Amino acid sequence: MTSSETIYLLLPEASLILFATLIFVAGAFYPARTGWNLLAAFGLLVAGGVLCIQINSNPVYSAVFRGQAPLAIVSGPVVVDLFSLASRALVIGVGMLFVMITSRTAAETQEPELMGSLLLIISGLNVVAMANDLVVVFLGLELVSIPTYVLLFVGSGHVERYAAQRQEAATKYFFLSVLSSAVLLYGFSFLYGVSGSTRLTDVFAVISQPSDERGTQLFSRLAMVFIFAGLGFRLTAVPFHFYAPDVYQGTSNPNAGLLAVIPKIAAVVALVRIVVVAMPGLEQVGWQLTLAMAFVTMTLGNLVALWQANIRRLLAYSSIAHAGYMLIGLSVGFAVAGDELASASADGMGATIFYLIVYSLATAGTFAAITYLGGAGRQIDTVEDLAGLSQTHPQAAFAIAVFMFSLTGLPPLAGFWGKFGLLTGALGVDAKSGGLTDGLWPWFLMLSVVTVVNAAISAAYYLRVISVMYFRPALSTPLAQGGVGAALAMFLCAALVVAVGVYPGPMQEASRAMSRSARQTIDERDWAENSPQDFLATRHRSAED
Amino acid sequence: MQLFLPILMFVAASTVLAGGLLFLGGLIGPSRAGKVKEMPYESGMDPIHDTRRRFDVRFHLVAIAFLIFDVELLFLYPWAVASRNPQGIDAAVSAGLIGSRGLVFAEVIVFIALLALGFVYALRKGVFQWR
Repeated sequence: MTSSETIYLLLPEASLILFATLIFVAGAFYPARTGWNLLAAFGLLVAGGVLCIQINSNPVYSAVFRGQAPLAIVSGPVVVDLFSLASRALVIGVGMLFVMITSRTAAETQEPELMGSLLLIISGLNVVAMANDLVVVFLGLELVSIPTYVLLFVGSGHVERYAAQRQEAATKYFFLSVLSSAVLLYGFSFLYGVSGSTRLTDVFAVISQPSDERGTQLFSRLAMVFIFAGLGFRLTAVPFHFYAPDVYQGTSNPNAGLLAVIPKIAAVVALVRIVVVAMPGLEQVGWQLTLAMAFVTMTLGNLVALWQANIRRLLAYSSIAHAGYMLIGLSVGFAVAGDELASASADGMGATIFYLIVYSLATAGTFAAITYLGGAGRQIDTVEDLAGLSQTHPQAAFAIAVFMFSLTGLPPLAGFWGKFGLLTGALGVDAKSGGLTDGLWPWFLMLSVVTVVNAAISAAYYLRVISVMYFRPALSTPLAQGGVGAALAMFLCAALVVAVGVYPGPMQEASRAMSRSARQTIDERDWAENSPQDFLATRHRSAED
Repeated sequence: MQLFLPILMFVAASTVLAGGLLFLGGLIGPSRAGKVKEMPYESGMDPIHDTRRRFDVRFHLVAIAFLIFDVELLFLYPWAVASRNPQGIDAAVSAGLIGSRGLVFAEVIVFIALLALGFVYALRKGVFQWR
């Protein structure tokens, strides 16, 4: 494949970056004008449209999308498979949600910078989803991080009483994010040292060879620990969670929503792609590590959330707890990796992807709601600010109630199916007893019990929000000047949460297909170029020389 | 492990050499300290004040604007060398690694255009005005 084909594969991202540049530069020429959110939304529509046209008109793309003959198109550092296609479509949708959420509040600050950064973040996420190369993964993650710093700082805005704490939040996030990037890069360097290549497929080929070199084992383990630490910051998994409550509390509501959703998507996509799939032979360490992290993360997140009065801090701890739930699926994915029979019965990765979608909808919706309820100069800060919302804004109160019930995991809503999938995955380990997963079931049974207990704990603080909204007299009427876009995003999320809850089949099937595709892509040995065997052959040849 | 033995030896040798020379210099070299001798740059500018002082944050913007031109040079220089060298772009084209010379040229033009846009953005935002 030539470089022009790589450019063709990256067309949606290129159009996103083009629109971001346009918004930046045009915004510098017309500083007084507003309405850049419409241009940003148009840019996302164009990117989504290009993706749809590629899928529909290109026969190879269509085949990949339907899971037929070529499972993946690999062109150098990027790969197009079902996993990346579906992730990109989802991410563009999430981007549209955030353009809607910020549509009004952005106009109070530097709107062009805010919208341009948002588009860059979305394109960065897409790059992570389609990366087949450690360097491209890192590039994508930085394309998410660096505009996020700008966004957090620009969002500090002209409201005097918030300016100082928002700048503090931006600085805190900047330093910790830089640290996590450095740790991640250090992990990548070990992976490169072991395999001699930055291509994920080559890394897989080298690590999956049975080798008696102790170095390969040792260094790939080290790499995994560092990569987990680096991505753990983005996932807000304990012990890398500590910045989240401070940063969320300090920043504005739409920014906090962005931080709660976008880095988590990046982390899960990168973890599925790099660690669970491309690093075979580490299942033992992998499931133990993620299992321990899942235990600690969800328990700590849920327990500390019980005491929070600030709504963003509450949601920060809630997002930490949900990171713990997502780690359950990854742990199951490790435990059954390399075991076709077991991975069919207990698809942990698929459950994690489904949970990620459900969580993103409910969380983005909640932040959309509290953004909508705020207004110029006065935003919703504490849970008490929502008191009596059922009288003053019954629709918003109902939507928030739907999100809270979904995050708790109550049956008619999407969150229930998320937890259901994770638990059936965890209990399905060992069900068909492939040799690898023998004797692991007590651990996963314990994990399931802890998860259920945690869900019960989390109900306490989610229901507290609902009780404040419905059973307390209103202290003051929220301004509700967050804009039509935020209200629309709120209703859209609520409708989707209910729809997925009532009819979860298609979404579950799609997440399962995504996880299957991620596994198969890396295992596919019949690419025309850069196939792992060719690579191994050249490597041995050069070793003999 | 065998592969890294030369590097280990190199590190050891350089450490011993550097440390030893410093030690020897201190041991047998003449040491006549004086006001001029102890200046940071013995033969350079006379220092006018302490180095640890605050300076204007606006210099930071200058440093960032410099990055545009620096990165430009970083990528244009290898391209310029490779386009004239018979083992550069021509060899890559005939080996089928890249499409054509025109494609590479177009990529460079796009790159310069992007940097120029960055420059225009900085200009409009008033980075080059000392406010």
